This record gives sequence, C-alpha cells and structure tokens, in this order.
Amino acid sequence: MGKIRSLVKKEFRQIRRTKAYFALIFVAPFMQLLIMGSAITNEVKNISLVIVDQDKTPASREIIDKFSAVAIFDYLGEARTTEEASLALDDGLAKAVIIIPRDFERDMERGLSPSLQVLIDGVDGNSAGISLGYITSMAAGIQKGWMMAGQLPVSGGVQVIPRYFYNPELDSKLNFVPGLIGLLLLMITTMLTAINIVREKELGTLEQLMVTPLGGTQLIIGKIIPFTILGLLQFTMGILAARLVFGIPVQGSIPLLYGMVLLFIMTTLGLGIFFSTVANTQQQAMFVAWFSMIFTLLLSGFFVPINNMPRFVQYLTYLNPLRYFITVLREIYLKGTPFRDLWREAVILGGMGLTLILASSMRFHKRLK
Amino acid sequence: MKRSFLSIVRKELIHIFRDRQSLFMVLTMPLLMLLLYGYAITLDMKAIDIIVADHSASPESRELIRHIEATDFFKVSVYKGGVAHIGEIFQNREAQCVLEIPRDYGETIRAGLPVQLQLSIDASDPNAANFIQNYVSRVASLSFADQTMLFSLEPRIFYNPDMRSAPFFIPGLIALILLLICALLTSIAIVREKETGTMEQLLVSPVKPVQIILGKVLPYTFLGFFDGLMILVVGSLLFHVPIQGSVLLIMAMMLVYVVTGLSLGMLVSTVAKTQSVAMLAAITMTVLPSMLMSGFIFPISSMPRIFQLVSRIIPATYFIEIIRGIVLKGNDLHNLYKPASILLGLDAVLIALSIRAFKIRLE
Repeated sequence: MGKIRSLVKKEFRQIRRTKAYFALIFVAPFMQLLIMGSAITNEVKNISLVIVDQDKTPASREIIDKFSAVAIFDYLGEARTTEEASLALDDGLAKAVIIIPRDFERDMERGLSPSLQVLIDGVDGNSAGISLGYITSMAAGIQKGWMMAGQLPVSGGVQVIPRYFYNPELDSKLNFVPGLIGLLLLMITTMLTAINIVREKELGTLEQLMVTPLGGTQLIIGKIIPFTILGLLQFTMGILAARLVFGIPVQGSIPLLYGMVLLFIMTTLGLGIFFSTVANTQQQAMFVAWFSMIFTLLLSGFFVPINNMPRFVQYLTYLNPLRYFITVLREIYLKGTPFRDLWREAVILGGMGLTLILASSMRFHKRLK
Repeated sequence: MKRSFLSIVRKELIHIFRDRQSLFMVLTMPLLMLLLYGYAITLDMKAIDIIVADHSASPESRELIRHIEATDFFKVSVYKGGVAHIGEIFQNREAQCVLEIPRDYGETIRAGLPVQLQLSIDASDPNAANFIQNYVSRVASLSFADQTMLFSLEPRIFYNPDMRSAPFFIPGLIALILLLICALLTSIAIVREKETGTMEQLLVSPVKPVQIILGKVLPYTFLGFFDGLMILVVGSLLFHVPIQGSVLLIMAMMLVYVVTGLSLGMLVSTVAKTQSVAMLAAITMTVLPSMLMSGFIFPISSMPRIFQLVSRIIPATYFIEIIRGIVLKGNDLHNLYKPASILLGLDAVLIALSIRAFKIRLE
C-alpha cells in the first residue's frame, strides 16, 4: 500500500509540474464546450429563400409577405425569372426557391387547384428535408387561412399536436453538450495515459521503475489512480461548464452519474494502456489514439443515431464503450432516467472496463519482460 | 542546385517509407473514413420505434396505422388500450414517440369534422423529433388526399434528388483528408528535424532554406493529392457520387487547397518545439475547426453569428463550397470565382506568414 502511495505521489508531482495538464483539465473543457456546443447544431435556420412571382396578385403578394415574415427563412427577395432563380441555386446564394405561377389566383378561384413550385438545393439532404417540411407546413397554414376567410368548407382533416418531452424548444445543444462531455473525457484520459507511459519508455525511466522492488501490478495501479482522479476532475469541470456556459442542469441522480463515469474511465484507461503497449514513440501513440478516436466518435451515436446505420455497422457499435456512455449521459442528463433502466449499460461498461484493464495490463507486463 | 533539392525530396521519401506504421495509416485512413462516411454516417432517419395507442379501434384508425406501417421510417407497435406513463416508456427506451388515436376518431372522421391526434415525442434528439413530427403529419394528411385543395405544392429537389448523405459527405471528406495529411504530417516532419537537431545540419549544408522546406513538403503534397483523388474515384464508384463538373477543375482547386494545408503545417511547425505539441496544435487549430465549423457536417447558416464569422476565415469552408459545387452541381469557375479567389487570397496570406515566421526562427 505504501509503495503505491509513493508512486501516486510521484505521478502527481509530475502532473503538477506539467503546466499543459492544467490547461487541459481546467480550461479546455470550458473552451471546447463553448465552441463546439455553439457551432455543432443540426437545427436548420436562416434558410435563404428566393421567390419568383409570375402572378402579381393579392394572393401571390400574401404568400410573399407570409414567407418573408418568418425568421426561419432568410428572404433574399424576388427573382424576375425562373432562370434567374435557379442561377441563385447554382451559385449557392439561395437554398430554396418558390415559384408562384401565372394565373395562380384565378385558377384557385376557378377551383383548378394550381401548384406552387418549390425548388430545393438537395446537396445537404438532411437540411433539404427539414426545409421542405417548413415550407409545406407554412403553405398549409396559408391555405387554411384562405379557406376559412372564404367561408369554404374546411373539411376535417387530421391535425397532429406534437408534445416534445425533455427538450420542448428542440434545442440541439441539449443533445450535443452531454455527449461532448463524454467525448472530452475519452480524449483526454486515453491520450494522457498512453503518452505518459510511452514517455517513460522513451526516457528510459520505466526500466528504472522496474528495477525497484515494485511489482508490475503495483506499477499499473500507481498509474491508474492518478489518471482516474484527473478524469473525475475533468468530468466535474465539464458538468460545471455545461451548467455555467449553457445552463444545462443534470436532471437525474448525480451519484449515479459519477458511478457510471468510474466504469467508463476504466475502459478509457484500459485503452490508453493498450495504446502505450502498441506504440514506441509519443508520436505513434498520439497517432493511434487520434485515429481510433475518430472511429469511436463516429460510431458512438454522438452525431448520427445508431438506428440510421446499416445492420452490420450497428453490430460494430456494440463494441464501442463510448456508445454506452453517451447513452447513459444523455439519459441521466436530460431525462433523469433511474438506474433501473440503465443497468444493462452499467453491466456492459463495467465488463468492458475490467476486461480492457486486465488484458492491457497483462500485455504491458509481457512487453516489459 | 536542382540536384540537392531532389536529394532532400529523396531523403524525405526514405523517411516516409521507413515509418511503415505512419505510411499504412496515410494510405488506409482515407479509405476507412470513406467507408465510414459512405455507409455508416447517414442522416437519413429510419426504423424509429413508435407506439400507437389505438383507443378508437375503428376501420379509420386501422387505416391510419396501415399508412404509418407502410413507411420504412417507423417500426410500429400497436397498443389496444391506453398508455399510462409515457415518461417511463421514454426512459426505458421502448419507443421514441407515442401516437394516441382518440376514442371518437372513427365517428368524427365519418362526420367530416376535424380530428386532433396527440403525438408525444422523446425530443432528446431534436433532429429526430423534428423528422418524426413531419412524417406523422404527412402520413396523417395522406389519409385525406381526396380533399379539394385551393393549391398544392410541387417540390423538386436539385443536385441530390434522393437527398442521400453520401454525396453530401464524400466531397467534403476530401477537404478533411487533404488538410489532415498536408498540415499534420508536414508540421510533424519539420518539427522532427528540429527535435533531433538535424535541422541545423541541413541548414549549414549548401542547400537554401527555401529548398529544404520545399523538398520536405513536396512528398507530402503528392501523398495528400493522391489520397484526395482516391476518395473521389472510390466515392463515385462505390457510393455513386456523380461527378457533374470538370475533373480538371477539381484537381486544380485541390492543388490550391494543398498549398493552404502545407502553409498551415509550416506555420504550426514554427510555433511547436516538439512533435507531440505540433500534433496537438495541428489537430486543435486546423483539423477540428475545419471539421466542425466549415459546413462539412453542420450547416453554417444555423450557427450563431459570431461562429459564422469565424467560419469565414477557415479555408476549408471555401474549399468545401467549391468542391461540392463542382462535383454535385456541375459548377464552373463562372459560379465559383468568389470562393476561389478568397481561397487564393488566404493562401497568399498564409504563405507570407509562414515564410516570415520561418525566417524569424532561423535568425
């Protein structure tokens, strides 16, 4: 016990001496959350819109007024011809064009049901779908208004009344910020552990430690304890940053959250130790860590719901610890989900963590001998 | 003079081929990323679990449920009775939304009166919530297609008619990979010489500093360029990304962008003293902003004003606009002169900066 304590003390002394760690743990979470939390949004706003009015009647002017008054659209103005409007699409100036055809009002009065043409830049398919949804519901609203004003029979029809749980404003920050905290935790703890061990290898101090009466297990534990504490500190800073910068509170139980974090840190440290056994230089360690991180990130459900992925990729994500941790974070953070509904994730994370730490420690031993 | 320049290139190539691990990554990473973005990273929603609580149990409600089941967007489970605790359903993730069909649904519809359906959505993923709401509304109105309308909408989707994710991501991926290789690898290569002290040795040799840098940078230029072309070819063959515009123009613009990446890498290398610092700086200062704030995944127009301004000084923003324009829209220089000239301007500034920084370092 005493040996481990002195090892931990030594690690902390080294950490205290490295000023970069302080920046990483105390400043980086705030900065990264601030920047990424604001920049990362898949909401669709400010859709640049051009309208071609070939009709020039009160009805067409009302359509223009309605669309230009809504903040979701960034109304650029009228184009004289369809060609001019589609050129705006080509140049990337406009993302959507509405064309009101000649005789639009007259055809409506005659009951011919004319159609408004909507041209949409589909390059970003997701945004295009959402933009079309907005335009459709605006048009339906205008239509309904006219039918009621004209004493026309507004036949029943079904109206869907949505009720949004947990995030009534549909603010994408609420979805991304808890995920980001998990991501930062993974990045920092894995990289720091890997680089710390490889550095000792590079400097030759690892051999020096080996000839001391310390056992290999004690050596590993002496590395794990300080980095777990750093990880917990960093996570706490992340929670504080989410609260202070974005005003996102934790809905669920905080002890449960920390319990889960401990399970997750086991996996990240295990990964870090594993990377340190693969790499011989700090550069290689960073490379390996960085590239595996990209895949961990993309296959975690952070950006893209796992349901969207093809079946075999979905199976791959079952191996990804971040997948479970991001689920856990979002559930506890936004929905206040109790342990009763999260025990599966806890069991898997714990199992993965133990396996990773044990396996990579064994590999570490072998490497040293 | 020419020969000494070539020998620097050769020396760098030997370095590259000796470090098998890094070379392997440079060649396989783009392919892996391509597969990932082509197959896995798709924003097209599907298989969303919906619970329909059918209180009505009438022919009309069954027809509505049939309509919902017909889209591959939803996985439907029908409850005959009521749903007691919606919050619990969301917490144990049994479903992402619950649609309640009221008891008098059938009668009201037959009477031609308006009906309201209550749709509860787990909005912790707001993007999905938006889609769910849109889809259910569309399906619900489908049941009334015969109703006389004053006017209708006739949507036409340009450039990417099926609204797939692959054509959106793959051209942007070229921007990311080019930058990753040019900025990251060159900065590390230069800093490595500084760290090991061989830079001084090179500087006292009769080769001019400019030639040293160019010689070091050239092999990585080829690597980056090769990776970019590989993504373009494999992407269009495997993921059917149509190349509408001129391939020559794409290559010319890629060259312009490679210069951007290289000068960024050189800038980083003059600041950093060790390889790990160079790597961290290159990732946080060049790669991450280019990934997150360039419109590669997230639309710039939806960001807060201040981040929109930041995105305008990121070269990747312009390159992504250019390459998507050429590949998907068939744009030529006539449409693209604005982003192209800005990119060239940024290049000039970056080169000037990095040469200056490098000279200061030498003295």
